[in-house]
Amino acid sequence: MKESNFYSDEFEQLIREKTEQYKMYPSEKVWKGVHNSLHTKRKWFIGTMAFLVGGILFFAGRELINPSVHPVLATKALAASDSGAALSKTPVPAVIRRSALTAYHSTNNATAITGRDISAGTGNEEAQDQSYKGITITLSHLVISQPDLSEFLSHAVRLPDEAPALTVIASKGNISADAVPAKVSEDALAHNIHGAGETGQKPGETERTVAAELADADASDGLNARSVLESLSEKGVQEARNSRLGHNLLARTRSASSTVSGGKVSDLSESRVSDSAAISANASATSIAEASDRERLTWLHDYAMYTLPSTARQPRTYLQLTLSPTINYRTLSGGDDGPGKFVPQAPVSPLHPGDAQRYVDHSPAIGFQVGGSVLYRVTRNLSIKGGLQFNFSQYKIRAYASNSPQQATIALSSYYGYIIDSLTSYTRVGNFGGRTQQTYSNDYYQLSAPVGFELRVLGNERLQFNIGATIQPSYLLNTNSYMLTSDYTGYTKEPSLFRRWNFSGGLEAFLTYKVGGVRLQAGPEFRYQLLSTYTTQYPINENLKGYGFKIGIVKELP
Amino acid sequence: MTEEAILQGCLKNEAAAQRELYNRYSPKMLAVCYRFAHNREDAEDMLQEGFIKVFSQIHTFQNKGAFEGWIRRIIVHTCINNLKKNKRFNESLDIVHAHGVQVREESVPSIVQAKQVVECIRLLPIGYRTVLNLYAIEGYSHKEIADMLDIEESTSRSQYTRAKQMLEDILIRKKILPKPREKSEWLVAIR
Repeated sequence: MKESNFYSDEFEQLIREKTEQYKMYPSEKVWKGVHNSLHTKRKWFIGTMAFLVGGILFFAGRELINPSVHPVLATKALAASDSGAALSKTPVPAVIRRSALTAYHSTNNATAITGRDISAGTGNEEAQDQSYKGITITLSHLVISQPDLSEFLSHAVRLPDEAPALTVIASKGNISADAVPAKVSEDALAHNIHGAGETGQKPGETERTVAAELADADASDGLNARSVLESLSEKGVQEARNSRLGHNLLARTRSASSTVSGGKVSDLSESRVSDSAAISANASATSIAEASDRERLTWLHDYAMYTLPSTARQPRTYLQLTLSPTINYRTLSGGDDGPGKFVPQAPVSPLHPGDAQRYVDHSPAIGFQVGGSVLYRVTRNLSIKGGLQFNFSQYKIRAYASNSPQQATIALSSYYGYIIDSLTSYTRVGNFGGRTQQTYSNDYYQLSAPVGFELRVLGNERLQFNIGATIQPSYLLNTNSYMLTSDYTGYTKEPSLFRRWNFSGGLEAFLTYKVGGVRLQAGPEFRYQLLSTYTTQYPINENLKGYGFKIGIVKELP
Repeated sequence: MTEEAILQGCLKNEAAAQRELYNRYSPKMLAVCYRFAHNREDAEDMLQEGFIKVFSQIHTFQNKGAFEGWIRRIIVHTCINNLKKNKRFNESLDIVHAHGVQVREESVPSIVQAKQVVECIRLLPIGYRTVLNLYAIEGYSHKEIADMLDIEESTSRSQYTRAKQMLEDILIRKKILPKPREKSEWLVAIR
């Protein structure tokens, strides 16, 4: 490589010697560039965590701005959807329509008008079509086979939101179909028609049976129609109670109906009701009224149980978003407290004995914390929580800048505190003197996962006073910090001596105030880093601490 | 930390060992880069790229030579590759007669300082400077230089001869070197 006469030329030798003596000190960004390109796993970690936090904040913000459907309504919609899917392919309204179930019976005809009226017998195809919303179908001359119809409608008639205004009119004359509507729920008749398929009957057969039944009712006193419609109500209640409470009542109603009509309903389709039966029916009007009362009581019971939204039950999970401006500082420890006393991790400063705290000029600075947590209410007053939090903390250093770099030695100690090695670098930041006085900042960017509890101490549902505590495993995302050299004469940067994983503890007390669907909170907090900022190799311990004022918003999760 | 410990740590991708290696050699290597580069920023970019190569290829170091020499070769090659990306640099290698360099004469003779010599080298045209750096300071042969720079060996020789002459002239004008008749006495005096 080298030519033989290289050193023969004195001029070349001089140039070589002088250039070899020359040294330049690169800026810190060169090492950062090298370090970042060599340790890309950290970048992935930071990117992943940033994505995670961003995602949480995005969904949390979206939930606050545009809340999802109330759980009670969602449950109703789901239930309606399920039953509708089982019986019909048409979409079922999520909210139960209010309707008054009114039954009229006459000797000539019976009419049921729903939200969409159905005219039976106008065509089997129409009856099968489930997409005929708005079509008016009028039931005329209906003869209903009560057991069959009850079976069909047991799936269909939903519990109305209003108590059935059941009116029994024992009339011998014809009643206009339009003048005496009988309102049932919209789904009832739809399912009635559709239900024919479920029981193996053709729709046409069902309608024929209904028509025949009501035709037979022409000659009766009308109680057949009444009992049938009453049975509709009963079966609707029974359905709403999940076939638990209505069995007895249905049996009684059927019994009463049989008594009134003088036998099975199917028998009525083959013979007209005698005058004596009509008389006995009139005589039993009192018992019908009692049955009506029982029905209303049953309805009230079921309405309270299944329809009224639950009120007292509180949700257990909450989303909490917080922001805290903080004042950050640190505690420094590690030093020779006295002659002959062995202090682990003691710095090696022959010229400046004692704690490092005495030789530095530091001051607090402002930082912040932002994060989100999920709270789970264990008891009425106690909640546990876990989440993610980003922490930016810093404090200021008063030091001196100089033009010429000076050697900066950092002693490295073993686990037991003995000095075993040293790191040497160069710095232009002096602790005791230099060209100009400068203020430097020690910045720390941490991601932590607070896990802890909140305890309600005082207050009611609207205004509360709480205390809380957390333990926070944290990861140092980045730092721009100066470390004190071992002889305390300067500051240098040595990222490899920073502890990446750490633990912090947090204490807080806050007031919460409930406004609408959210709860606002504000109060002081204190955060202390439990382990030193530096690894155990660095002889000086630094524990960061922050005093903050946390403000937050809490919203229940669906 | 011993060099062996640093090497072992770097092989394990330990940040502390890498930092120690960097702290130990980066001042010298930045000076090398500075002699090739246009300015300090370019030099730092070259240094960063060079050290990334050092750490990523450290497993190829076979302990047969000096560790510093191995690092230095990587840094120099990185500098040359960076220079070759510059069109002006490639053109400058073909210029046989460089334009005269304006050098202000110093009124007072000064002590020869390393920085002065380096700054004088940087006054040379880029083509001259590169060949001078590679041959006189880094110790490459003209054949190696010709291969590295994709030029003829004769071109490398002529460039070096002119570069040396020009540098000497600059040093004399700046009173860093004595005039030829005083040269031998001066060389003795400065050592």
